[in-house]
Amino acid sequence: MIKENNIKLIFLSLSLLLIILIFFFPFFWIITSSFKSPEEIIATSTTIIPRSFTLEHYNKILFNSDFFIYLKNSLIVSFSSMIISIILSVSAAYGLHKLKFYGNKFVEYSLLVTYAFPGVILLVPIYLLFAKVNLLNSYFALIVVNVLFATPFAVWMLKAFFKLIPNEIEEAAYIDGASRYIVISRIIVPLAAPGIASVSIFCFIISWTEYLFASILISGDDLKTLPVGLAGIVGQYQIDWGFLLSGAVLASLPVILLFVFIGKYFVSGLTEGAVK
Amino acid sequence: MKKNNIEGWLFVSPLVIWISIIILVPIYIAFELSLFNVKIIGTSGKFVGIDNYIKLFGKSKFLNASLNSFYWIIGNAICQTFFAFTIALTINYTFPGKKIITNWIILSFIIPTVVVVVIWKLMLSSSSGIINSVLIDIGILDEATGFFSSPNKAFISLVLINSWRWSPFLALIILSGLNSINREIYDASKVDGANFIQQFIFITFPNLKSVLFVLGLVGTLLSFNIFDIIWLITKGGPSSATTTLPLLIYETAFTKFRISQAATLSIVTSFLLLVFSIIFIKSMAPKEDD
Repeated sequence: MIKENNIKLIFLSLSLLLIILIFFFPFFWIITSSFKSPEEIIATSTTIIPRSFTLEHYNKILFNSDFFIYLKNSLIVSFSSMIISIILSVSAAYGLHKLKFYGNKFVEYSLLVTYAFPGVILLVPIYLLFAKVNLLNSYFALIVVNVLFATPFAVWMLKAFFKLIPNEIEEAAYIDGASRYIVISRIIVPLAAPGIASVSIFCFIISWTEYLFASILISGDDLKTLPVGLAGIVGQYQIDWGFLLSGAVLASLPVILLFVFIGKYFVSGLTEGAVK
Repeated sequence: MKKNNIEGWLFVSPLVIWISIIILVPIYIAFELSLFNVKIIGTSGKFVGIDNYIKLFGKSKFLNASLNSFYWIIGNAICQTFFAFTIALTINYTFPGKKIITNWIILSFIIPTVVVVVIWKLMLSSSSGIINSVLIDIGILDEATGFFSSPNKAFISLVLINSWRWSPFLALIILSGLNSINREIYDASKVDGANFIQQFIFITFPNLKSVLFVLGLVGTLLSFNIFDIIWLITKGGPSSATTTLPLLIYETAFTKFRISQAATLSIVTSFLLLVFSIIFIKSMAPKEDD
């Protein structure tokens, strides 16, 4: 018995070590590198502890680039997409999982498929459609697409939370004369709040990280989002690594900050809302 | 609960309508385009019927991209299953720092893909990347290698990078399945003398069915769809080794300006994915649970 436990312990520590090395070390690496001198970033001999410290890259990106324009665009697009996605998916999840109706399984599975279905397949026709209705080069074009990408999975995530709410609570409220609206706003939404928080952050992340459509549907520099702006630097022949790394760190900062506050809801939303 | 047809549809309809318009109208447009020979966006072409479809199947580029997509899905499925299960089973144990690791393991998923690209371009750089210098230091490599310079190396590197991005997210979903398994079953099996591996095969795995169903379906389609990581790192090269179907569609439309061909590709691809999904759902969907 003791032997099996020891082996388990060794395995556990080993895989923990590997997980930290593989999934956390790269972040340590780019963050520290973004403060290194340009020479040290591209030096052939690698040092784990930085030898130089400079703020020149951050200085350059904050005061000498379009960073703030991209940031503003990304924030507008992501917040709007998030809010619309939540309204649509909470309503749909309520319909799907609280009011059983004819065809609900079909809708549920179709939604799952659409979660993964769009992507590049829709790129060409959506471009043409938006060109026809004059939506190219607008925030709304990106919002429309982001909502499409975020909502199907959001509905699936909400399912677990809605199922945890006992039907008796609702039924009791109806007996007391409450309307559907009251039940949703006073009972369902507050009880599913952790679920809604985790879905919000998911929707925000989907919009924040979207690159493909943003790169095609937006051509004006004043409307570009952060990923597109950054990708412009990646594509250059002579990469200015310091500039790129500080940009990468800054572009990740807003989602990380958001995650600091509601990240635990997201993770517990994913892990504890038992998918039964 | 009793069936509630009209109200139920009323609640799902805003989302269903939104999604339908944004998917069905474009698919109709793509279908129409695929019957013409439009080249540059905005110009008109002449009607060619199913010509585009016939030509497509004779094209080696299409076959090559389909094969690459197939390998891409398989490679990612294997890597991500391995990583995701390792993470999920590990963080399912109690250890100091568990909360922090569990909450932040998903970091690679919440940052923009472009940042993922930046991280790995730097780490895997052939001139100054840390991976190269570590591999040389521990004696695995004699000299720095270009991870994206040969077809095989580029393909494998991309699969690993993409798995790095997605595995933690998948791990958390698997963890949700693990949490829903009753602890008592494990205790009972221990009394009966089951070891760790037997527990995994006979208890953990079967109980994850509904989670694995969703992951199998959504995961496959999602991997298929990956575009930005590949495009931003290799542009589909070297010598088309990493050109999957999404990249081929993009290239055909936006660098070669063959809109009708790209639309034809989109239609064929949608059809393939639809067939896959229907077969998958029909054969693997877990039985009605409520």
